[in-house]
Amino acid sequence: MTEAMAKALIALAGRCLGESRRDWALAMQSEFDIARAEGRPLAFAAGCLIAAVREMPMHEEGRFVLANYILVIGLVVPMAALQFAWGLGFPSSVPGQTGLYSMLAPGIFGDPYLAGAYAAAAPLLLALWLLLGLGHLRLAWAVLDHDWARAGRAAAFIMALIVTLAIFMAVLFLDCRDVMFHVAALAVELIALSCSARWHRELFPSGDVASCWQTI
Amino acid sequence: MLVLLKALAAQAHQWRHGYDLMKETGLLSGTLYPLLMRMTDQGLVEAEWREPVQPGRPPRHAYRLTTQGLELARSATDRADAPPSKAALA
Repeated sequence: MTEAMAKALIALAGRCLGESRRDWALAMQSEFDIARAEGRPLAFAAGCLIAAVREMPMHEEGRFVLANYILVIGLVVPMAALQFAWGLGFPSSVPGQTGLYSMLAPGIFGDPYLAGAYAAAAPLLLALWLLLGLGHLRLAWAVLDHDWARAGRAAAFIMALIVTLAIFMAVLFLDCRDVMFHVAALAVELIALSCSARWHRELFPSGDVASCWQTI
Repeated sequence: MLVLLKALAAQAHQWRHGYDLMKETGLLSGTLYPLLMRMTDQGLVEAEWREPVQPGRPPRHAYRLTTQGLELARSATDRADAPPSKAALA
């Protein structure tokens, strides 16, 4: 268990060091074998990981990886969480509403004459909101993989879902302000993604995404 | 950095390995490797892949001081060994 964890840490350290410090990653790996033989693999590997993380802001690949993580953890994942929360009934961005069900509840925000239609539409609306959350998680994964083609497909999927939601909610005479908020958030995400993809292309002009990821 | 300079200067012309330097200096890998990287970038240390002494083992990265590094180590050791000046004692 300890050795497996140490191996994972040393592999992670190698990834953090990037192409410009590849020799150092290999050096750590070769000394790791000695540390393992002497019974101190975990302490050695943890130290190497700390060294590699401290080194990340010093080189451009490291800065790129850090920026990508900030984009994903700071924007894409919170957007997914927001969509799940909103779908499951937590407070939305529109004041006075507490998620999808309060919006559909007849007599509060909805039209009592459309109560039957709302009840029929609720599962589909919920599925669309949850799919929106899943779409964001898929987008986050693609960004961390630096797979821009997959990220583009995920963004297109999210965009299609938002349009579907907007049309669907408009047909049901529901308040579309939340959807507008998601359109604005998606626009910000797309701008950030496009900057990240451009930066990636500048770092690895060959465009070989798979090999780029292997080196980081 | 001083402790590493001293360790490398003690056997200036000999190639040293990272793990041996850790044991000799008492530095942890998280401190030693950033120092070695920085010193290599500054031209104080040269690094090279060396064939292992024991057959069947992978090559190991080895380090030694450059002329510039050796000069720095000597001046740093001289400064550390020099008696304190009168002004410093005053």
